[in-house]
Amino acid sequence: MAAPSMKERQACWGARDEYWKCLDENTEDASQCKKLRSSFESSCPQQWIKYFDKRRDYLKFKEKFEAGQFQPSKTTAKS
Amino acid sequence: MLLLVWTPKAWHRLSPLKPPALLWTPGGEALHVRYRLMSRQGPGEASRQSQPQGPGFRTRLLITALFGAGLGGAWLAARAEKEQRRQQQRTEALRQAAVGQGDFNLLDHRGQARCKADFRGQWVLMYFGFTHCPDICPDELEKLVQVVQKLEAEPGLPPVQPIFITVDPERDTIAAMARYVQDFHPRLLGLTGSAEQVAQVSRSYRVYYSAGPKDEDQDYIVDHSIAIYLLSPDGLFTDYYGRAKSAQQIADSVRRHMAAFRSVLG
Repeated sequence: MAAPSMKERQACWGARDEYWKCLDENTEDASQCKKLRSSFESSCPQQWIKYFDKRRDYLKFKEKFEAGQFQPSKTTAKS
Repeated sequence: MLLLVWTPKAWHRLSPLKPPALLWTPGGEALHVRYRLMSRQGPGEASRQSQPQGPGFRTRLLITALFGAGLGGAWLAARAEKEQRRQQQRTEALRQAAVGQGDFNLLDHRGQARCKADFRGQWVLMYFGFTHCPDICPDELEKLVQVVQKLEAEPGLPPVQPIFITVDPERDTIAAMARYVQDFHPRLLGLTGSAEQVAQVSRSYRVYYSAGPKDEDQDYIVDHSIAIYLLSPDGLFTDYYGRAKSAQQIADSVRRHMAAFRSVLG
């Protein structure tokens, strides 16, 4: 399977960005973005979809982390 | 050491300046004190107060200063010689490294064999990646090309050779590399080879790479360290730039290296 050309890469990134924009608007509710999801899946190789999904998870986690949502526990009584 | 010999004499000449209280004691003791002063100076010296003979204080100071300067100069010369010898040894070591280390034997995207010596005399910006890369390699190559273009626009700077080396020799054939590099810059050179040749060049440049698991359509992603390497015209590794560096920052850094460059290969 040949690697995607620059045009194909850009089409894939565009579809990904659309899908992610939809997720941002719908607070990660994937059911609202089914159409964009299928467009995304048809534009990109399967490996890339898995990669970008993981990337999305990581970016969201990073956002929460930087906003301070994960704090070390105050006591170690439970452990 | 010499100063210590001289200062007692200077001190003795000053000693008559001692408080007059010493000389107020009854006559006998005053004489005794004066005798003591005179005897310390010695017979020849007694006349020195009225008729100074031999080198004066300032002359002695000048001689000391000249001698000190001579010693200092000798020390500085010895230090400079040692520094020069050390510099020569370092240059020799660099010369051997430039020729020996970091060599590679790869094929470019036109099928021609290339090794490091081919790029002697040129500044090289090198990036390791693979053509099936989702986003990082295209971004970094785009950045690399921007650096090359910025430097191309400046008159008086030598051209920089951009090189893309694959860490996925299994899939990145010569044809695949040719298709890939054409999207970035006309002078971007793609290099590939056998698994051993790629392993060798990655080892030389300390590039980590690891192919991930294959999925249903045999596609996989290669995890790899991300850096743009700068090689000097001597073929020596000079600097590297990570993801966080912008094209402008890299261009500025390359320009600084170019200005400071002195060849060790003559």
